[in-house]
Amino acid sequence: MDAVKIGILYSTTGPYGAMGRESRDGAEFAFEELRDTHGDLIQPVYIDPHGNIPEYLDGARSMLRDCGYRHIVGTITSLARKEVIPLVEKHDGLLWYMCPYEGFEANENVIYTGACPNQHLIPLFDYLLPRYGKRPYLVGANYVWGWEMNRLSRELINEAGGEILGERYLPFEETAVERIIDDIEQRRPSFVLSNLIGPASYAFLKAFKELGDRDPAFKPERCPVVSCDLTECELGEVGPGVAAGQLSAASYFDSLNSAENLAFKARITRHFGAGRRISNFFASAYSAVKMCGEAILAAGTDDPQTVRRRLSGAPLSTVHGDIRIDAETNHAALPFHLGRITADNGFEIIASRPAIAADPYLTGRRRRSAPKLRIVS
Amino acid sequence: MKETPNFTGWRATILHRPEAATERLTRQLRLLGFRVTVQWAPLDAVVLPDVVLVDADQGWDELLPWNGADAPLPVVALLGSEAPGRIAWLMEQGSCTIISKPVTASAVYPALVMAVSIYKERQAVRSRLQLLEERVRLRPLVHAAVQKIMEARQLDEEQAYKILRARAMQKRLPMEQVAASIVGGAEPLPEAG
Repeated sequence: MDAVKIGILYSTTGPYGAMGRESRDGAEFAFEELRDTHGDLIQPVYIDPHGNIPEYLDGARSMLRDCGYRHIVGTITSLARKEVIPLVEKHDGLLWYMCPYEGFEANENVIYTGACPNQHLIPLFDYLLPRYGKRPYLVGANYVWGWEMNRLSRELINEAGGEILGERYLPFEETAVERIIDDIEQRRPSFVLSNLIGPASYAFLKAFKELGDRDPAFKPERCPVVSCDLTECELGEVGPGVAAGQLSAASYFDSLNSAENLAFKARITRHFGAGRRISNFFASAYSAVKMCGEAILAAGTDDPQTVRRRLSGAPLSTVHGDIRIDAETNHAALPFHLGRITADNGFEIIASRPAIAADPYLTGRRRRSAPKLRIVS
Repeated sequence: MKETPNFTGWRATILHRPEAATERLTRQLRLLGFRVTVQWAPLDAVVLPDVVLVDADQGWDELLPWNGADAPLPVVALLGSEAPGRIAWLMEQGSCTIISKPVTASAVYPALVMAVSIYKERQAVRSRLQLLEERVRLRPLVHAAVQKIMEARQLDEEQAYKILRARAMQKRLPMEQVAASIVGGAEPLPEAG
């Protein structure tokens, strides 16, 4: 087999740069390990779109059309993913998307190794509602992730007989959160679901800490801020201790006590030195590159169809544990972990579930009888 | 959207020549929970699926056993052509929405959600229209009943109408039906007040 190039498309600057840098680090680390074991057969090519949608398109086009790469690992936001997918389809490539997302997608040309709502939001609510109550306040980034997560939350809360006390949206870079905090203070929800991203999320967590300092009813143990995308890599931006006690769901935490993770962490320490704490973004990008590279090596070709068939065979051993990729949905089954942020910006895992098969269109959540659409008159 | 649309257990029939394009469509529909049949022959008028997806590029009238406006289920047109004749054809078959060919995975779920919603909306409009037509048809009866009450009770038209309406509400029946009973003598004249 000739050397195969894999495109890496992450933004290391811009409002979600922290996630992009972490993802790129994870990808780089995986390529180094692949090189150590297989030489130069699998090579990375990095393009940084700087958080600009047109640059994602240019980057993906040059990888797929001009250079003929078949595999791209990348994109963080659903906006970028949706822009890149038509190009990947056109050139019959494979996009490896590894971020938690809002579901309602299952493309043949995409491998999804990030969690969708039945793997993050639904188990999160299963945990929260009996413990904190059914009257949450929803805040979110003003785009499809925030909108759709909050729409589904509303549906789940209505089904549970609860009530949504408020729903507010902020652009990634909006840090004026005072009015939302005032509203939350007045309405006194059971908990706050935050689907905010970037600087808006950091500002919100800071202001919420101050609210809790003023009024103990808003301390994390009584009214936590919970999220499905806040990870180790962003807590540094939030500030030490600011988010302590708040909760986050993820399929990986640095503090996971599994044999796979302890071995992985030992390699991380050898490479980055002690003290490097990694996040779900790092681990997922690492796993995606490893899965992609190893499947190509095992198949002896980077032909996307062949690679895809190989993926859905036996379970793949990753830092998330053994991962199975469903041949129908192209989604990975993933474990659910709930982490509580510690004073030193790590996560203490307080609840876990073994791997949950992805249900991107939530078809299995309610078994409904076939529709009654016959004309009655 | 209050409730996430869920097609688990629904039956879809694709009326299209079996080819690579229908494979992708079939795959995507299965992911959404549909049981899928592909055929390139007229649909059985008796055993209908829950949704039909029909090739509007090559479809012919006999493929669908109904006249457009009376489509008894949501119809989705699969269309590559831009020819006005084909667009007219798919509308005549009662199509609720279009999926463009070549079919992309991301086009399927939105189209199905929309087709079912538009179909339900059409159904609701149709039955509302039937109801209103019926009421218009029976309006002379209401007039006659009001006249009868006016004469018998020596009331003006407004008072008589109020009495009729109160009786209909009390009996939880449409006013037209109560009026018909009064005019026909099957119902004693309601007392004033």
